[in-house]
Amino acid sequence: MAAVGGAGNGAGEEAGGAAFYLRYYVGHKGKFGHEFLEFEFRPNGKLRYANNSNYKNDTMIRKEVFVSPSVLREARRIIQDSEIMKEDDSNWPEPDRVGRQELEIVMGNEHISFTTSKIGSLVDVQTSKDPEGLRIFYYLVQDLKCFVFSLINLHFKVKPIQL
Amino acid sequence: MAAAAMNTDVEAVDFDSDDDDLMDEEGTIEPSPAPAPRLRSTIAGGGGGDDDAPRKTKGRGFREDPNSSSAHRDSRLAGAGRSGFDALASDGGPGPVRSIEGWIVLVTGVHEEAQEEDLHNIFGDYGQVKNLHLNLDRRTGFVKGYALIEYENFEQAKRAIRESDGTELLSQIISVDWAFSNGPVKQRSTRKRSPRPNRSRSPPRRRYP
Repeated sequence: MAAVGGAGNGAGEEAGGAAFYLRYYVGHKGKFGHEFLEFEFRPNGKLRYANNSNYKNDTMIRKEVFVSPSVLREARRIIQDSEIMKEDDSNWPEPDRVGRQELEIVMGNEHISFTTSKIGSLVDVQTSKDPEGLRIFYYLVQDLKCFVFSLINLHFKVKPIQL
Repeated sequence: MAAAAMNTDVEAVDFDSDDDDLMDEEGTIEPSPAPAPRLRSTIAGGGGGDDDAPRKTKGRGFREDPNSSSAHRDSRLAGAGRSGFDALASDGGPGPVRSIEGWIVLVTGVHEEAQEEDLHNIFGDYGQVKNLHLNLDRRTGFVKGYALIEYENFEQAKRAIRESDGTELLSQIISVDWAFSNGPVKQRSTRKRSPRPNRSRSPPRRRYP
């Protein structure tokens, strides 16, 4: 896609190929309805972002834009470096009334779909049954949100609602 | 990789798309003219001809009651219908697309100790940098490895890409490219090799000192 092939010929295969999908969801249902934030990167480069809160009659924000192969590759790099694909959510806190998080990633022939509760702070991580795995999840999610928020903010000039 | 293998596991996340409470809340969604795209087709129909290997699945998300709240995913994203998502104008063709106030460039391979000033020094040469996001790794506090830069004009961004891609910043080679595209990534149907199981950063050359 790039006018100037920043990444060389590997770009399409590495990042634009079919074997990459990412979706993250965090939300809860409460006084202000179903408040959530969700984003996904699709294999074809479509980045979708939805953010809903009924607080003060806020309405749903839904944005979509195609990102370049370089952006997909960077998302992929962040995930690979985290080694989240080696983890397992079986000992993570179950989603509860306070909320739930979902992280779904397809990379190569691996497909993870992890769910857990919201994580308030590192204390929650430390006191869990799998602090090492949950810590990886905790930081990866923050890094991915940070990346997506920057992309959405720069493209649309909207500030995501922090959940 | 066996071409005939099935992605049966992926069906586990193929939730019922009739669940559309959010669409109702929104109140502005037309009845979908066609079945909403589902994750299954997103992935399986994604292109690469050699991507039919059985997938290893892991996680509670595959085992949950489809009536749990995660089941609403289709209506939150995939099932919301075309009109549900705001997008800036684009012609769907190849090439970069303009963002609302300018043109966004992605820099990758950025050294973890790089400062905003380093990036301004390089990228200020091509035009005024209207916005610079140099995000940090949340665990280490060092630079995560990428930067997003906004230019007002297409020509400025294009020159920045042409002239700084592949150059060195703090002894690391940086890659510079557009952040946003007019349309979907071209799927390669001629891919021969299997998806690499490696965990190295890609493209590898970026990380060579």
